[in-house]
Amino acid sequence: MRFVRSASPLLAILLVLVIWQLAVSVLHVQPYVLPSPHRTWQALLEDWTNVRTLAGQTLYESVVGFVIGTGVGFLLAVAMSHLSIVHRVLYPILIASQAVPIVAIAAPLVIILGYGLAPKLVIVGLIVFFPVVVNVLDGLSSIDSSMVNLARSMGAGPAKIFLLVRLPATLTPLFSALKLAAAYAVTGAVIGEWTASITPGLGKDLLLKNSRLDTAGVYADVLLLTAIGLAGFLLMTVLENLSTPWRTRGTARRWFRRSASPDTKGPR
Amino acid sequence: MTNSKLIIDRVEVRFGETLALAETSLEVADGEFVTLVGPSGCGKTTLMNVIAGLQKPTSGRVMMDGADIAGRPGHVGYMFQKDLLIPWRTVTGNIVLGAALTGRATSSDRAAARSLAARYGLGDFVDHYPHALSGGMRQRVALMRTLAFHKDILLLDEPFGALDAQTRLEMQQWLLEVWADSGRTVLFITHDVDEAVFLADRVVVMSARPGRIQAVHEVAVPRPRTVDTLMTPEFMELKSRVLAGLYHKEAK
Repeated sequence: MRFVRSASPLLAILLVLVIWQLAVSVLHVQPYVLPSPHRTWQALLEDWTNVRTLAGQTLYESVVGFVIGTGVGFLLAVAMSHLSIVHRVLYPILIASQAVPIVAIAAPLVIILGYGLAPKLVIVGLIVFFPVVVNVLDGLSSIDSSMVNLARSMGAGPAKIFLLVRLPATLTPLFSALKLAAAYAVTGAVIGEWTASITPGLGKDLLLKNSRLDTAGVYADVLLLTAIGLAGFLLMTVLENLSTPWRTRGTARRWFRRSASPDTKGPR
Repeated sequence: MTNSKLIIDRVEVRFGETLALAETSLEVADGEFVTLVGPSGCGKTTLMNVIAGLQKPTSGRVMMDGADIAGRPGHVGYMFQKDLLIPWRTVTGNIVLGAALTGRATSSDRAAARSLAARYGLGDFVDHYPHALSGGMRQRVALMRTLAFHKDILLLDEPFGALDAQTRLEMQQWLLEVWADSGRTVLFITHDVDEAVFLADRVVVMSARPGRIQAVHEVAVPRPRTVDTLMTPEFMELKSRVLAGLYHKEAK
């Protein structure tokens, strides 16, 4: 059972590849319309040295934009939950920021920020920060007020209450947002490269190959972009399991048990 | 009373125009077990919040060992109906919460928490997260957390209200055992008359709108008390007097 469960994502990918291959060979699709998985893989290997550095660039944009965007989102949520004036002023602005089509705002961003890294980071940040704000706000407001009262009755100050009671409660919703954001970040980086692109990257490369009708090359880039997004998502899942052990386990991990020496365990 | 641990001195609480708690005075002796019983809205919890320092009284004082603690938290152990265990802390981590919130939970705090858990039958669960425990066990941990906060006065606000009848009876007997061990002074809120009489040295009956003390009954039933105590004539007689007082007020 366990084997089937851990292998099922791989089986799913295999299934997609099979359908893809069948679609190409059964329907006799021309390679410049839809290359077969094999051709795509070939294209990826042939162009590997070039594509590798481009992927590094796109990965860099995604990661830095992700860190900035989610970090700002987290701080905004904390500020909004503590000061209702901040919440009232900021919330409509944040909603409006999500109503602005990212592709539309990309061009004016280039005018303001130039063609360098900055507009790409802003675009990635704009895409990833919103789920973080909404989820962390949810987490902070879901805390039982009697929990806070209990802490207050013990004489705890607001800093301790925040650190020990409020902050850990945001971890679960925060990671839900981070998983989404990890996948979105790559999209943001590609959009950024499309509009503000003199620096190289997979997004830019994709446009170039598309214009040359190098469809297999385009699909190779898409595969790489997907891999980056998936890796981000998986990394967030691993971090989530490590930092919120109480959600999946009944007891604390052994190396987190402080002073768990047998002599303090007492009689059984 | 010369050995009063806690003196509630003409405490009154208003929320705007509403009188939540009419002028109330009560003296509690050191080591005494007092239960407060009354209908919802009689200001029991308001009174508890005042003693715990969460709510400033509109007027009056709460004296503990000669010092006014009204509106100043951190002087008593407070336990709620909900166990309010922190899901990301283990049983040990929850028991030492008071120390963690007011400074730092030291390894001796943790060792003490573990031996407390072991003494009261949770020795095998010290590294468990709360979600892996039953309702009764969670409530035990909540009481241990209150004990480990090392305050002379325990305020227990319907701590067993959410438990099933059988677990509840077990917990009541366990609480009496813990109380006898620790020598703490206990104020215990309930709306269950059986529970109020079974546990207490004195039962304070409160009435609603505005909340005030209506009567105080001495419980002359000898200790230690067991399930059999619930059937003795003294117990029945006192229970019917408390019930009559409650019912009489509410019928008006």
